[in-house]
Amino acid sequence: MTDPRSIRIVIVDDHHMFRTGVRSELTSLAGPSGPATFRLEIVGEAGAVESATQVITEQQPDVVLLDVHLPGGMGRGGADVIRACAGVDSRAGSPVRFLALSVSDAAEDVIAVIRAGARGYVTKTISAEELLTAIGRVADGDAVFSPRLAGFVLDAFGAAAGEVAEIDEELDRLSAREREVMRLIARGYQYKEVAKELFISVKTVETHVSSVLRKLQLSSRHELTAWALGRRLL
Amino acid sequence: MQTVTGSEEGAVQQPQPPQPVSAPLPAWRAKQRPPLVRHRDDKVLAGVAVGLAAHLGVPVGWVRIAFVASSIPFGAGFVVYIFLWATMLEEGSPTTLSGMPPAPSAVTGALGTSAGSPPGAVASTVPATASPASPGAATRSSGGGTHHHGIDVAALRSWLRSSNQAVVITLLGVAALVAAGALWLGSVGFDVHAEVVVPVVAIVIGAIFFWSQLDDSSPLGGRRPVRWIWLVVGLGFTLLGLVALLVRGTNISELWQVAGAVLAALVGVSVLCAPWILRLWTNLREEQTARIRATERADIAAHLHDSVLQTLALIQRQSTDATTVARLARAQERQLRTYLYDEDSRAGTFGAALTAAMGEVEDLQGVPVQLVVTGDRPMDQHLDALVKAVREAAWNAVRHASPPVSAYVEVGPDAVEAFVRDHGSGFDLDAVPDDRAGVRESIIGRMERHGGTARIRRRADGTEVELRLPVGDPDTTAPAAPATPTATQSTPPAASPVESAQAAASVQPAGAAAPAEQAAEAEPGAAAAPVAPATTRALTPATTAANEPQEQPS
Repeated sequence: MTDPRSIRIVIVDDHHMFRTGVRSELTSLAGPSGPATFRLEIVGEAGAVESATQVITEQQPDVVLLDVHLPGGMGRGGADVIRACAGVDSRAGSPVRFLALSVSDAAEDVIAVIRAGARGYVTKTISAEELLTAIGRVADGDAVFSPRLAGFVLDAFGAAAGEVAEIDEELDRLSAREREVMRLIARGYQYKEVAKELFISVKTVETHVSSVLRKLQLSSRHELTAWALGRRLL
Repeated sequence: MQTVTGSEEGAVQQPQPPQPVSAPLPAWRAKQRPPLVRHRDDKVLAGVAVGLAAHLGVPVGWVRIAFVASSIPFGAGFVVYIFLWATMLEEGSPTTLSGMPPAPSAVTGALGTSAGSPPGAVASTVPATASPASPGAATRSSGGGTHHHGIDVAALRSWLRSSNQAVVITLLGVAALVAAGALWLGSVGFDVHAEVVVPVVAIVIGAIFFWSQLDDSSPLGGRRPVRWIWLVVGLGFTLLGLVALLVRGTNISELWQVAGAVLAALVGVSVLCAPWILRLWTNLREEQTARIRATERADIAAHLHDSVLQTLALIQRQSTDATTVARLARAQERQLRTYLYDEDSRAGTFGAALTAAMGEVEDLQGVPVQLVVTGDRPMDQHLDALVKAVREAAWNAVRHASPPVSAYVEVGPDAVEAFVRDHGSGFDLDAVPDDRAGVRESIIGRMERHGGTARIRRRADGTEVELRLPVGDPDTTAPAAPATPTATQSTPPAASPVESAQAAASVQPAGAAAPAEQAAEAEPGAAAAPVAPATTRALTPATTAANEPQEQPS
């Protein structure tokens, strides 16, 4: 048996109960003897902006599970941690990646952490298996979109109203293919189902989603900047 | 007087037999009169003429000419201009939105036409009162009425309560009072020294200008930015008044000395007072903030008590029943979200109706439905049908399939698309027996009746229902749907009583949920069934007023 890949993670959430729950679920799935295809090593926990920044800088994890709302910091917490940890690399040499985990459905919160640099956003009602998949994906540098985030994206880029970019590189609009992918994710499709539906490979789906994530982070579309401004992020 | 022009167009149309749909109201009344505000664009001096012209519906040039012409003899136009300048709000200022509603011309018109008719009955009574003898006189008097009511009392009162307009009016009043008093005193025989009265008036006016900036805090405790020009003007007036008061009787060469002394005294006093005033100010602000916080806290506490605490108490009492606990928790979570993200504000829209429908499914079945909606639009009857179809699809999904169930609804420019997806084993529509009305009637049939389509796709790991409803521009009113298909909806077509009873039994098994759902299903049909005219009125309340005149001749 080959030694499976191991991902070092830090859990940041201000609810101790939630941290404990996630830890036990993830350990049972991807601990030393879990059934998952890769191993998770939980190297730290934190409950506030300052302690999170400290733990992340010390431990240099691959992935940080980050609650959107945290005590401390200047704004809403999560985005502050991401900005404070900008430039910190994991032990493997790639930048530390953040997966936002929240109960909040408010567009401002979601867009705020994404624009601060998170690689994905999932709600806390996600199943442990899906969370594991999401962590693996984020560790690989891909993006993770929940159906709701896909809905936000379609709304924010005007894709629901029929706006489509003419060239793929355009930052303020989605390309036709990206729009298709986002719509399928909003409909609750997994990446592999999206791939099957559109007759493309899972890797291509991941590329599209990453490209949408980049647009989400870099675009200066009014809706996005307004949402971010609502949380005093720009 | 050129202001009546707008109404004369209406008066020409009025005596003709009432044209119910195209022109139920005269032209000047049909369109909403824009509020009387100063316009920033196209202004020459302060935008008074432009604003007035827009409000009265006459060309700007006329208004300007009227102002200039009436200014030549005694300056009356000039005075009116200054008065309007002082009293009219500028467009876009916060009070224009709340304090001054766009003059409701239909209601003000009613005051002029028929004094006895309540405002609600305006649309129906107007053609009736206009058709008998002397229609022209009636409408013309109503036209005059409108313009006299152009600035209605409520708006005037709200001006007086808000902003610097009150200050200016007070100033004018003070000046007029002082002038009148001086004249009276002079006529009675007292010796009135103009060199005393004028500076005192100047000081008072300056003080009012200055103090007007203190009374600017908004209800929430935030402050509007202080308008420095008012402060400077107030300070200037006060200084001039003080200097004039002190210089009186001495020669002009000492003017600078006096001015210097006054300035020095003022600076000295303000330096002495500043820390004290500052501390008072800070204390006041702290107190204000604390009070606001306490009020907010009380609000939140009241809400939490009514919702969360009650639910928690219920959960404690039923802690053995896991299903009930989960359902209570989910319902409470949804309610709390609505409160937190202020979803009440979008009540009456398609998105809100969908959220409510999915919430209902969750409550009744205890299975969460993940709903994502992009875009939104106001509800109409076709969208209502779509909401019901989506609800039915989600209902089937949570009952027959396995979670996660997700619904995605996209409001596009020319169609609304809805997808409801589950992870069950799926079903073949052809294999579903004919007596099962759920899918075929409530989803497919309903969509087709409203000009939409429904498609059911069976996938490897679940079923997806795709609904599509073409929609037009949200501004144009949708054509009234024929009432008959809605009426047939409640009874399954071509089904004998026995079969339909079976259908009811098989689709909706006995339980607390079933009667509620049947009631919801039957509701539109029941409303539509008895009388046809009543249905059209209920369906499209906006068109009832237009229908009224048609019915009256018969």
